[in-house]
Amino acid sequence: MDILIPDTWLRDYLITKATPRELEKYLSLCGPSVERVTGTGINTVYSIEVTTNRVDSASIYGIAREANAILPKFGIKTTLKKYSSPINIPSANKVNYLTAIVDPKLCYRFSAILIKNVKIAESPKRIKDLLTLSGVRPINNVVDISNFIMAELGQPIHTFDYDKIVGAKMILRESRKGEKVTTLDNKKFVLGGGDIVIEDGSGKLIDLAGIMGGKNSAIDENTKNVLLFVQTYNPVNIRRTSMSLAQRTDAAVLFEKGLDPEAVSLGIVRGIQLFKDLTGGTPEKTLLDIYPDPVKTRSLSLDLDFISNKIGVPITKIEVTSSLTALGFGIKWFGNKLTVTTPSFRANDITIPEDIVEEVARIYGYHNLPNVLMTGSIPPFAPDTTFDFEYKIKTILKGYGGVEVYTYSLVPKNYITGKALRLINPLGEDTEYLRTSFMPSLVAATRENSGEKNKYHLFELTNEYLPKTKDLPEERLTLAGVFSGYNFRNAKGIVAALLAELNINVTFVIEDAEFFKPNQRVIINSGKTTIGEFGVLETDNLFYYEFSVRGLKNTCKGKSYIPIPKYPAQIEDLTIILPQQTKIGEVINTMTLIDKRIASVSLKDIFKDAFTFQISYQDLGKTLTNEEVEVLRNKVMATVKTKFGGNIKG
Amino acid sequence: MQEEIMSLKNEAMAQIMEAKTEEELEALRISYLGKNGKLTELIKKIKDVPAEKKGQVGASINDAKNTLLTALAERKTKIGISVRVWFDPTIPGIQPEVGHLHLVTQAIEEISNVFNHLGFSRVRYPEVDWDWFAFSALNFPDNHPARDDWETFFIDTPESKEYGRMLLTPHTSNGQVREMLRVKIPPIRMINITKCYRRQMDISHTPMFHQFEGLVVDKDISVVNLKGTIDYFAKTFFGPERVTRLRPYHFQFTEPSFEVDISCGICNGRGCKLCKEGWLELGGSGMVHPNVLRAGKIDPNKYSGFAFGWGIERTYMMKAGINIPDLRMLYSSDLKYLRQF
Repeated sequence: MDILIPDTWLRDYLITKATPRELEKYLSLCGPSVERVTGTGINTVYSIEVTTNRVDSASIYGIAREANAILPKFGIKTTLKKYSSPINIPSANKVNYLTAIVDPKLCYRFSAILIKNVKIAESPKRIKDLLTLSGVRPINNVVDISNFIMAELGQPIHTFDYDKIVGAKMILRESRKGEKVTTLDNKKFVLGGGDIVIEDGSGKLIDLAGIMGGKNSAIDENTKNVLLFVQTYNPVNIRRTSMSLAQRTDAAVLFEKGLDPEAVSLGIVRGIQLFKDLTGGTPEKTLLDIYPDPVKTRSLSLDLDFISNKIGVPITKIEVTSSLTALGFGIKWFGNKLTVTTPSFRANDITIPEDIVEEVARIYGYHNLPNVLMTGSIPPFAPDTTFDFEYKIKTILKGYGGVEVYTYSLVPKNYITGKALRLINPLGEDTEYLRTSFMPSLVAATRENSGEKNKYHLFELTNEYLPKTKDLPEERLTLAGVFSGYNFRNAKGIVAALLAELNINVTFVIEDAEFFKPNQRVIINSGKTTIGEFGVLETDNLFYYEFSVRGLKNTCKGKSYIPIPKYPAQIEDLTIILPQQTKIGEVINTMTLIDKRIASVSLKDIFKDAFTFQISYQDLGKTLTNEEVEVLRNKVMATVKTKFGGNIKG
Repeated sequence: MQEEIMSLKNEAMAQIMEAKTEEELEALRISYLGKNGKLTELIKKIKDVPAEKKGQVGASINDAKNTLLTALAERKTKIGISVRVWFDPTIPGIQPEVGHLHLVTQAIEEISNVFNHLGFSRVRYPEVDWDWFAFSALNFPDNHPARDDWETFFIDTPESKEYGRMLLTPHTSNGQVREMLRVKIPPIRMINITKCYRRQMDISHTPMFHQFEGLVVDKDISVVNLKGTIDYFAKTFFGPERVTRLRPYHFQFTEPSFEVDISCGICNGRGCKLCKEGWLELGGSGMVHPNVLRAGKIDPNKYSGFAFGWGIERTYMMKAGINIPDLRMLYSSDLKYLRQF
């Protein structure tokens, strides 16, 4: 959480000559982070980020307490003024002006006092100025007192119009599902149950505790008698109510982090004093204070070596003592062992010896520690990873003009066929499911580029998520791509070139599937394993391919040297007229298989129904004679003629 | 003999000077210096010269030969210049179609390379994981806000008795305990890079993003090792002039915890609009909490460790000054954006 701390207000509690720049720098290094400093002189304001575990420092006084421990380490003298009040007032767990029945599981400390004959007016200028600097709008003296104490102490305060509490009775309990409350900002809520609420003698709800007061018990211009009200609540209930009703009030944000019940007495005494000073009101003689289970301080034991070893440099006993004492810890040494007692405001935060190490280390200063790389042995790499292989695939495709995209793995329902994992709490319908295929995402990606004039090839390599019963899904690493504006042979050529570069021998087998035009899709097999698919999509004239990365990796062979033939090959072009609807892939396969001396056959050119093949004849043991080549050529022609009805041209 | 050499040289020089084409020059070269050329014939006769004159004659022939070779070359250049043909070297070349790797891929590659040098082993742990790995094992209490429905995405599937709810991991830290359970006995130097998900979407957040998680566990690992590693990364990845600092912070699964800042590359740490008083936040880090080591079946009394988990996108944006104003653009498929990188 971010809080605004006016410099001049901070100096009410922290006596120091430190400049704002010094405060900013040193606090950030050793304590809460000062994100920004705005204004100058008396208008200087620090914007400070307080971490969730340190709600005790989310106030003027909390920051003063931290600065008091930190600044002396940089040679700057400080004095912390105690947060107290000249008022001394007895307390009791029962009073005559209010009957309170409190659930101690919801409210750890409940304190209140009636203040009579309050005069509502404007606050004095300084109070208004300080509130304004902290980002709070001054309203009137009663409201301002609450806000002032919350900023100063980090303890939320509430005030009721006492005369609106029917029967001077309060029951603090959990809400029941369906109960209604209207808060003082005029918002009406139907409660889900389990919220902390206060009911008065008439049975109506007068407070959504810890979040905001009820409209029906609010202070107005006619208020005479005020009930000053200071509590600590169960943080879990507060968070749940605040989030589910979307009421992120300053009070809720503080309460949900677990406040120190000991600060309640500081808050209420400060409140009484301010009410006397600002409103002329008269407090009752006895304070109501229901506090059945006071915070216990915790003791932790550890030794000096433990601290030094965790930090990595030797730390002295003096350094430990001075850091911890300045932060409010109690400390006792027994030789090199020490026992540390936590102050009440750190009771939730400091629970293990490592927490003490952190306190010593940050005050010692992380900036004072050296940078040292590890010296131990290097562990073996995780086995069977595909990272380098993935990068290789990507760079190959990039080399062929492919453009890599990252599309969202969360997709709408209409992207899903079959089983898929669904989110309980998606951000919207567009991101409700975990995808099981890349095709819809990549088709959508091409639609994002409908204005593109040139051909393009998009690809993506990442996980798809295939559900399993009673287990995590299979996160299957997949390569997929889409070609737009390409012709079929160029697109297929890129896929084939990728496979060739990976040294994977494949066969293409026609097999229809959903979303592809009939007869226009092939599955790609390596041996008996299907590793991918390629084909023409039904929509948008796109060519689409998909491979299992694991399949590619498993079939990808390392390259090895093949001896260069000692004798030259004979290479010639044969142009063959083939009947319509002849599958050229089959023609080439057939030709290649005729004789082992036919080293390769490739399609060189097409003109109408005439197909020119380049054939390479090669005998590893000798140079083929023209006569031998002729025999082979005749075999080729005869096979092509009987099997496909093809005739040599000319 | 000397005179013969001299007159042959003069005769050749005169003809070379008058030659008009490269072909003529080549013919002259052959007629004097070729296999049966006139000067070559003279060289063959050296063997008949009396011994005391051999040296002198040899030198003269050599001199004549060099003079002719130089003259031929010079004349060739001159002819070339005078018969220059029209040629336009300013015409654009035909470029091959150029593809593009996505920014996130480039970032992951650069980042993992840096850690590779330090002996970190790259892994990829699940994006869809159990609550136990993402939270419980990382010392998150049952009621921690990160477990709320408004922060983390949950999957509509029955809970596991052992591991709790199924979710989309909000950080790569779910890999910490998984790596400990895999390795069993330290040392561990892990870099886990994968997609993460959080329920937020605005100009600086996308619901899907990438993190890289470093984890080191060994004997005697301390804060100074964490500092050393982070400083090495920052100087290698961002440049030797950049400095880092640790600020106290709070995370459930580390103790102590730090936020790591790097000096702003735009203002060099003086403070500007883009940074916070001269610093940019890189991300969180800390010393592995003993409860996390225990969850990974590693004895916290014997071993200690540190961890950090930072956003790939965020980190890369800080380096390159790429200046993408809206992070959601990163996951656009618009070629006008993709082709820029």
